Amino acid sequence: MAGIAVRCPRVEVARWVGTWAGGLALEPPVTLTLDITVGAPPADLDDRPPWHQPDLELRAGPPHGDVRVRWLRQPALGVIGAGATTARVLLSEGALAEPDLCARSFLTAVVVLLLRRAGWHHVHAATAVDPGGRAWLIAGDTGAGKSTTAALLAQRGWRVGGDDLSFLTSSGDGVHAVAARAPIRLRPGGLRLLGRAADPAADGKPGFFPEELGGAWVQRIRPDLIALPILGDGPTTAVPLPPRDVLSELVRWSAWVALEPDLAQSHLDLLARLAGQASGYRLMLGTDLFRPGDRLMELVP
Amino acid sequence: MSPRFRRHADLRLTELAGEGIVLHLGSRRYFSVSGTGLAILEALIEPRSMDELVEMLTARYEVDAARARASAGEFLERCRAAGVVLDEPAA
Repeated sequence: MAGIAVRCPRVEVARWVGTWAGGLALEPPVTLTLDITVGAPPADLDDRPPWHQPDLELRAGPPHGDVRVRWLRQPALGVIGAGATTARVLLSEGALAEPDLCARSFLTAVVVLLLRRAGWHHVHAATAVDPGGRAWLIAGDTGAGKSTTAALLAQRGWRVGGDDLSFLTSSGDGVHAVAARAPIRLRPGGLRLLGRAADPAADGKPGFFPEELGGAWVQRIRPDLIALPILGDGPTTAVPLPPRDVLSELVRWSAWVALEPDLAQSHLDLLARLAGQASGYRLMLGTDLFRPGDRLMELVP
Repeated sequence: MSPRFRRHADLRLTELAGEGIVLHLGSRRYFSVSGTGLAILEALIEPRSMDELVEMLTARYEVDAARARASAGEFLERCRAAGVVLDEPAA
């Protein structure tokens, strides 16, 4: 069975990264490898224009064809050659001193880029299956309400994949979304809405797996519905969107689509197929979502 | 020699519900175009003259040459203004 393999001469580093990567429970169709060396990354002489994500700097495209990810918080560098299924990763001692952040930010970005080589394309989306068996992809930016909605749905007994780290892949019956196994991280406002107390000892946003919220985990779905949430002041509403508008939003929330020219076409084709396959809705999220009953099921019968 | 045109190398095209969807990788700008516009942009992966585009359109759609020329000319002007289609330098 394919997965994400980890190599590193430092046994404790190999064990830590291996445990983290294995915990994502991702099984791409080909084995992908993180080949890790501990040491200081070299100075960056890459003159390709940088592209920024929080705490990350990425460079890709011609003339080199590879993609380079640099962590800005601590020295760390990932390099993946064009078409390669192995990422060469340099981790400094400083990066190793912050393993949780290093994994959630830097190593996750490297894995996202590796998975593109296996035909799995990232989208910022939560995934869920409602009690009627319909599969939902809930796509949007940080702060759009994906995590709180995913947690609420798990609390209501829906099967939930995750709150953000999802991968689109082509299958015989359409486009599927595969969720990485990762806790749903909630801000204080989301915790309050869900009636949960924050653990004062917790570092950052506390995380919950769907099972801990009363739901079940589902890894792979074939989306029937695409919900594009934004936070509103009034009642929750769901407005149908034409496929073109859905695709426009999917492109926005697929940050990596334009990063590597050689992979952009297959990524865009996948998003277009998904937009044609599923019914899209603009969800305006209101606090009535948290009242008894299942407002989403009422709005999208 | 008549001028030739080609599409920007940063463009990626796809089709959705009969429309063309155009993504400009460099700017991350996103456009939708008609099915005819998509056919023109697909053809412009290689440099083409207006005569060649008209020939392609009349072969593919039920349209006369004059109308195809007017339609393609208008579309090309909009694409050139948006930087999506470039003038190919004469050899």
